[in-house]
Amino acid sequence: MAYCVICGVKLEEGSKRCPLCNTEVHLPQGVEEQPSEPLFAQPLPPAGMGGITKTRKGVIELILSLFVVSELTVALSMILSGNLAYSFIPLFSIAMATLSLILAFSNKPTFSRQASIQLLLIALYLLGIDAVDLSLSWSLVASPALGLLWMYSIFPTHARMSKAPRRSAVLVVCATLAYLAIVNVVFSGSLTWFLPVALPSLLVLVLLCTLFLFWFSKRRNKTIPLADIVLGTLVVLFLSATVFDLVLSKYQRGVFILRWSDSLLLSGLIIFLFLVSVSVSRRVRRYFTSHNRHV
Amino acid sequence: MMRVQNTAPEGFIALDNSALIYPPTEAVFNANTFRMSLDLAQTIRPEILELAAHDLMTRCSYAKVSLHKGFFWYFLSPNTKEMVIHPEGSYPSGRFFFKENNSYLLRVVYSSHRIGVECFHALTDGSGALAYLKLLVERYCHHAGIADFAFPGGLDFEQKPTKQEFSDPFQHLYDKTLPSYPKISKAYHRKGTGSFDDRVKVISATVKTAEIKNRAKARGITIGEYLSSVFLYALQQLQMKEVPKQKNRKPIRLSVPMNLRKIFGYDTMRNFTLFAVIGIEPALGSYTFDEITKEVHLQMGLSQDRKRLLSQIRRNVMGERTPLIRFAPNVLKNPLFKLLSDFLGDDQYSGVISNIGQMALPPELSDSIRRIDFHLSPGLLNKVAVAVIGYLDTLVINFTSFFNEDTELERLFCTFLVEDGIPVTLSTNRNTET
Repeated sequence: MAYCVICGVKLEEGSKRCPLCNTEVHLPQGVEEQPSEPLFAQPLPPAGMGGITKTRKGVIELILSLFVVSELTVALSMILSGNLAYSFIPLFSIAMATLSLILAFSNKPTFSRQASIQLLLIALYLLGIDAVDLSLSWSLVASPALGLLWMYSIFPTHARMSKAPRRSAVLVVCATLAYLAIVNVVFSGSLTWFLPVALPSLLVLVLLCTLFLFWFSKRRNKTIPLADIVLGTLVVLFLSATVFDLVLSKYQRGVFILRWSDSLLLSGLIIFLFLVSVSVSRRVRRYFTSHNRHV
Repeated sequence: MMRVQNTAPEGFIALDNSALIYPPTEAVFNANTFRMSLDLAQTIRPEILELAAHDLMTRCSYAKVSLHKGFFWYFLSPNTKEMVIHPEGSYPSGRFFFKENNSYLLRVVYSSHRIGVECFHALTDGSGALAYLKLLVERYCHHAGIADFAFPGGLDFEQKPTKQEFSDPFQHLYDKTLPSYPKISKAYHRKGTGSFDDRVKVISATVKTAEIKNRAKARGITIGEYLSSVFLYALQQLQMKEVPKQKNRKPIRLSVPMNLRKIFGYDTMRNFTLFAVIGIEPALGSYTFDEITKEVHLQMGLSQDRKRLLSQIRRNVMGERTPLIRFAPNVLKNPLFKLLSDFLGDDQYSGVISNIGQMALPPELSDSIRRIDFHLSPGLLNKVAVAVIGYLDTLVINFTSFFNEDTELERLFCTFLVEDGIPVTLSTNRNTET
């Protein structure tokens, strides 16, 4: 019997590695050990076999049989009623629903994987039913919208992206810009309002967010109070809305004027000055924090 | 001894109070099963084992039931189907497939030298399953001509089953005038590294009972308390690595099942265990092993206090008796039970360690025993479970885990034992070839 040189535990005969630290077993020259009786009658099945169990296989078979029966029933009823030309949408819907159920049952039940698959299927479904008349119109906006939803709700939760939040945020901003450009092109045929209105507004929003995050991260006190987060968000939103108003007026009337956002600009500046004064002056900060509560 | 009447009508047996939570929460990563097995020197003959299993159907009527989903509650009813035995698979305590087992909640498994019993927790606890296994081995040895004996403290095959074996003492001990047991905060849960899947990976550590007893005795604690302390110490080391800031560290707690039969004097063969939740507060600072043993000893003593146990029973049974819960349909109750299982169960502790104790063997069997095992199914939140059983002069500590590569907890546990002067022998079903 060998001992693990790292853990100091005695290993069962024939072990090649320590199960605790994976250290290789080196026996003296000429010494050979017969493999001992395994702990269980059968060896551990390879990883990945665990996903689909017998019950799941049964469920998938049931779904497939229901799919065949329903497709045949719908197709026959359409043929007999003389509406074969309209049969694409019901048949395609049944096929996509079947595919959705099978993928739900055959994949690992993790949120990101299941949600990604289902969103992709819905996007394909929308493209499919839009393509009935052999042209794509509204689905070119609806399907990318699902892609954008995926970018916001699922992509940042991915293990690799959650470790790199900055990269994830940049990609989400790029996806938003791309989506807005697509919407503009689909409805207007070219980038009419995207370049003069959407792009500058969004870039200002991102810039302000970055500046605030940078400011907050550089503060001496690393824990940011909730009030600061709320006020900072208000400043970012108010100032971005002001920029949006400016670029929109330029696009529509040809001049930079504030039409409805002057009060927002004023409020944003006041809150910003308040945040700066609270951050700079200890006296002001103490006045608004709990330090003077019991005085 | 108190006698408890089974008031359940024929054909409809209400689940005992602690079993109510198991059927609705049963899932791929929450199998709610455990296994006990005994390895004999003789080769096991399946046809004789089948005969022995059939023998037990009358005596162990508590196991001759199947689980059904009613409109309001899950319930048990007598099972008229044949008991089937199964060849052993690749791992223990996996998910239970009731249909493959003729709807029984207890599964008899065998391999070339092993007789095992795998049990869904809604039927019984470790003591109930152990009583069944003992009787099964008795009958097997009788039919195989190995020896005629009776396990000390086991059920008597010749006697008729008593009503008390089928009783739910929780209902009898419920006292609505008591205050409810307080809820405790969330505990630390180890994230672990690498992938995991539903194959139960086992690392089995075997130690000499006398050596571990000496080390425990030197600190004035029992073997169970010593092992719980080692588990807590290993978890503390893991949390220190995972959470460097001391004030952000969560409490580390263990759930330790306690057999209430001895404390309250009941002989039921259904679930009659409560869980002692013992632990440390690493946010207050790092604990030395001796400090942990003191905490564990104190907290185990308090947990076994009759009054506290009655208060815990009051909390558990009160939930079942609340009219809103009682008359809510099962479809509404199931998600609620899943939430309750997390809030009042898994959330509150960082690991489970179950010590079934020393299994007393008849002298006729001592030479034929090769090994005895006890395995718990791990959970999704606490992916490593520890089960301990003793026989003759050996103690077997089985670590069951969902992790594919991560064996850090097991390593810290075993290396501590080695450093404390206790030689440990390991065996595993993990692939150690490559």
